[in-house]
Amino acid sequence: MPSYYEFFCPVKVIAGKAALEHIPYELSGLGASRPLLITDQGVRAAGLLDPVMAACDEGGLRIVTIYDKVPPDSSTTVVRDIAAIYRAEHCDSIIAVGGGSSIDTAKAVNILVSEGGEDIAAYSGAGILKRALKPFFAVPTTAGTGSEVTSIAVITDTEKSVKLPFTSPFLLPNAAIIDPRMTLTLPPQITAATAMDAMTHAIEAFTGMAKNPLSDAYATAAIQKISGALLTVMAEPKNATARLELAQASTMAGIAFSNSMVGLVHALGHATGALCHLPHGLCMSLYLPYALEYNLESIREPLGELLLYLEGADTYAATPPIRRAEAAISAIRRLRDELYQRCRLPRTLEETGKVTRSQLNTIARRALDDGAIIFNPKEVTYEDAIAVLERAWHQPHPVA
Amino acid sequence: MRVKRLQPMAARARRRYVEAMFQVLGRALQAVSEVDANVQGEARVLPAGFMFEMKVMPRGSALVVEHTGEGRFRYHGSSAPKPVNLSIQFKHLAHAFLVLSFQEKTSVAFAHDRMLVDGDISHAVRMTRILNRLEAFILPRVIASRAVKQYPANLHLPEKLLSGAKIYLNVANQFVHAVRA
Repeated sequence: MPSYYEFFCPVKVIAGKAALEHIPYELSGLGASRPLLITDQGVRAAGLLDPVMAACDEGGLRIVTIYDKVPPDSSTTVVRDIAAIYRAEHCDSIIAVGGGSSIDTAKAVNILVSEGGEDIAAYSGAGILKRALKPFFAVPTTAGTGSEVTSIAVITDTEKSVKLPFTSPFLLPNAAIIDPRMTLTLPPQITAATAMDAMTHAIEAFTGMAKNPLSDAYATAAIQKISGALLTVMAEPKNATARLELAQASTMAGIAFSNSMVGLVHALGHATGALCHLPHGLCMSLYLPYALEYNLESIREPLGELLLYLEGADTYAATPPIRRAEAAISAIRRLRDELYQRCRLPRTLEETGKVTRSQLNTIARRALDDGAIIFNPKEVTYEDAIAVLERAWHQPHPVA
Repeated sequence: MRVKRLQPMAARARRRYVEAMFQVLGRALQAVSEVDANVQGEARVLPAGFMFEMKVMPRGSALVVEHTGEGRFRYHGSSAPKPVNLSIQFKHLAHAFLVLSFQEKTSVAFAHDRMLVDGDISHAVRMTRILNRLEAFILPRVIASRAVKQYPANLHLPEKLLSGAKIYLNVANQFVHAVRA
């Protein structure tokens, strides 16, 4: 048990069947009636805005305007442009519909329209914001990032080519709307990658330095849900119950990691994503077992406990305590193998086809400067990082 | 009554201890950057003129060092001559005391949310590594192991003693110069 911890999550979670239909009532409860909707082209093309618009129309709420051009890597320019639209249209609230990029963009827009100004970079850093922002709802369309319950946003400053972090409890949405309709059409590989992102959030939260009893509760519940529902969703993509399980797991994992931080998997993943332009969820899946193996002796006890949530009570009871941590890693490897079989989600850097061996040095160096490395339970040197990357490079099992 | 009298004394002693440790750490940062190639390599990545501050909120003790280039630091005392680029701030004197008396590792203090980082997080990670390296040199192994996440496996006794002695000598020189000035 930690000698001290903090836990904070004031986001109202509205989850389940017909959750979208609660938006008009919830928004009116905050005194707002003119929302700006922020999303991306992919969400619109997939028809995911239709149920949101229908729910708002039927509930007597008019979406004042829609911005649907959020890029995968949102920028300060995009934030400034959306803020200008918000002001011109006299909006009074924001609804973000999408993945991490749309939700992060909406958080940054909310800073500008609430605090004033056009330069979002002026608000970069921790603890800059001192008061509540405009009403803001997040409707995630992937089940992985957990952005709807995190107090962080990352926006690229295109002029200086740097990523600007924004951290404040005031960035948290007033409500996260988790509706199974929003993830029903998610393609198999994205479903798998984002679920492994949520799985990594939960596992790193449970094994990290800032773990605490409350984040543990969310993390273990999330792992149990993902283990139970992911392969069902892969087999039956239209299974709304299993989709909802994954979506809830993603939110729970988000609550867990935002209160206990993450570690080496994220440090390596951030560096790889930035350098090789691989999706974040895929990077998490790539590194998860290798980073756990590296940390093994520092996290043996909590990792062993996770076998219960990964494999169920029978396997947990049948495995000697001394072997449970290794068995947990094996369970994750088997899950990755299964995902590879079903949707060709790469398991190694080599399998991605987008990483060259010569890039490993740069990935290692960048990972050592990533903020997540501070919270990894074991110290990581350059040589250690290279050793993990080498293991992640090779094909671990014969290709089926 | 006696307890009431002792509490302010304890707080005062803690404040003086933290002030003294900041003075030693600041000078030791300058010293280790002149002694250790590993620290120089870490610091070289920081821009020349980079100002680093470690302080106790809201207006408590502080140490300020500047990267003057080529991996070398200069200690500026408790106030910065120009705007600070990176500030690591303890939320309370008690939190600074826990870390500076080696009862809590720096990484654990971050995990326990005892400190805020204002500035580039990658630079904060780098400065934390430099502080860990410094502590490994200047503290006995048993105490250093309580201060850092993992005592460096490749730091052997001869190097530790030699570098530690050079750092302490350098710090002592700086104190003497400060007193004379």
